[in-house]
Amino acid sequence: MNDYVISTENLNKFYGTGDIQVHALENVNIHINKGEYIAIIGPSGSGKSTFMNLLGCLDKPTSGKLYIDNVDVSKLNENELATIRREKIGFIFQKYNLLPTLSALENVALAMSFAGKPAKERYDKSAELLDMVGLSKRVKHKPSELSGGEQQRVAIARALANKPSIILADEPTGNVDTKGGWKIMDILEDINNQGETVIIVTHDPNVAKRAKWVIRIHDGVVSAHASR
Amino acid sequence: MLVDNFNIAFKNIKERKSRVFLTFLGIAIGIMAIVALMAIGEGMQQAVVGELSSLSDTVIVTTADISASPMGGGISGGLYSSFTQRDIDDIGRINGIESIDPILFGFVTVEFNDEIQQVKILGMDPDRMSEIFGIEFLGLEDGEFIKEGDQNRCVVGYNVAHEYYDSDIHVGSKIILNEKNFYVNGIYQKQGAGFSTETDDYIHLSKRDFEKLTGEKNISGILIKVENVGEAESIAEEIEFAINENHGTDDYANAITMNSILESVQQIIGIIQIVLLGIAAIALVVASIGIMNTMLTSVMERTHEIGIMKAIGARNTDVLSIFLMEGLIISLIGGIFGIIFGIIGANSLGAASGSSFMGPGISLEPVVTISSIILSLGVAILVGIISSIYPARKAAKMSPIEAVRYE
Repeated sequence: MNDYVISTENLNKFYGTGDIQVHALENVNIHINKGEYIAIIGPSGSGKSTFMNLLGCLDKPTSGKLYIDNVDVSKLNENELATIRREKIGFIFQKYNLLPTLSALENVALAMSFAGKPAKERYDKSAELLDMVGLSKRVKHKPSELSGGEQQRVAIARALANKPSIILADEPTGNVDTKGGWKIMDILEDINNQGETVIIVTHDPNVAKRAKWVIRIHDGVVSAHASR
Repeated sequence: MLVDNFNIAFKNIKERKSRVFLTFLGIAIGIMAIVALMAIGEGMQQAVVGELSSLSDTVIVTTADISASPMGGGISGGLYSSFTQRDIDDIGRINGIESIDPILFGFVTVEFNDEIQQVKILGMDPDRMSEIFGIEFLGLEDGEFIKEGDQNRCVVGYNVAHEYYDSDIHVGSKIILNEKNFYVNGIYQKQGAGFSTETDDYIHLSKRDFEKLTGEKNISGILIKVENVGEAESIAEEIEFAINENHGTDDYANAITMNSILESVQQIIGIIQIVLLGIAAIALVVASIGIMNTMLTSVMERTHEIGIMKAIGARNTDVLSIFLMEGLIISLIGGIFGIIFGIIGANSLGAASGSSFMGPGISLEPVVTISSIILSLGVAILVGIISSIYPARKAAKMSPIEAVRYE
């Protein structure tokens, strides 16, 4: 037993078969402590999305092991992976990915509904989280009635809903104007300061600079550095 | 959990009102067809069976060379072979018989307004006349049946009253049968081709008047009332056997019970009902294809949302149940409207086509039973589930990465 929130052993991911096989990730061995603030950077096509998908349990590795909170997730089936995603991981996507038919409050509560939490608890907690990201006056609004930055903050609230072990943010400021982007980074930093592990995938050096560690991916090879 | 999935499904439907409305319409029409056609079938059943079963204690005996048609008036001819007093006496010796009423047939000349025509006449017990010919769809157009004790009164068939003579015969008219004056007590309504035409061309008299008029006792048919309905069938067999023995052949007499008639009528109506339901089933199949189509489009359009839900932890079963519920809601709402439209439709259809369906004077009251409503709702639910299974499974099996990436 150790205190790593994420840990990999010779993690490999291939796409395709035979001659046209692409080695998207090569022998990744990495250990991430609880409460870290990490940026994953790399050019497009480097394998960073692949790595992100594996960490987020959206995809399975071809070989090797991936531990999340000391659970080997590389052998889990689809429904077990769904449970890990629900309980351990909070996703923040570049394009917010809120459900257009639901209000801000309902979007946040949805994640808890899949976890089977009672309605009262869900909506109280959702209101609290939306308040935390500064959207207490926007709870009833649908995504289409919110700005990009506001939508991303709803997404952050949603990511936090089930008290995950890891926040995985994929280019969280990519579709947001500069000012909105800084606000989002501030919130993520706050979350990290409260002890949450935050992992941001980005190619914006200004975003990467704010992280404590940087994981650089190049042609499927992973290396980690202190950011400053 | 289920309530939440229901909520999501319901919101999805609300987002696509106009398209879903068309799907609703499809299923509503299918269910409407089922409810309406079942109600009409049930109405037919009750109209015919209700009337006939009041006669279920009656056995009709005719000679075998006369065909007995089902509707009571069907004892035609009477000019061929006939029954004897000995036959009547033998029937009287069979146990369980309450009454025996011979029916007499003959021809007379009938004079009305100085015009003379040959008309068939039928003589029978006045009480039995109103009992058998008075049932709703045979019934009288005007006037009343003859009562016990009435003399020189008759009930005239529709054709005799309206077509045989230049001017119409009315209730109260005087007609002359074989030079004896008779008063018209009632006029039958037209039976037409739907059922037997035997009342249309007849004049019905009491047995006593018939005998006085013709001096004949030409018994062409016998109506027998049994004490116990359950014994009607076996008594009918005994009667046939007794009469056949008297006449020395195997097939002189033909004794049928109202129950056996009832059964064959029910069989026919059953077949009609199955055909009607078959038509409704086709409508439903089309409707279910409509639902499946809507659901497949919905799954396609919402691939991205499915991906999001999976990414934030929805299990395959969550996605499956959301889409199943969506199909279910569509079919249930469609089904409920279909039932309402079906009830309205059945009533207006019944009102509009009652007479042409079953002949004049027969009002077809559509009967919407609770079981037909429950059945229709059940069918709606089943159609909703069946036609959403494939789209819902498709949605549930999507890979979260690809679904999230889908724009």
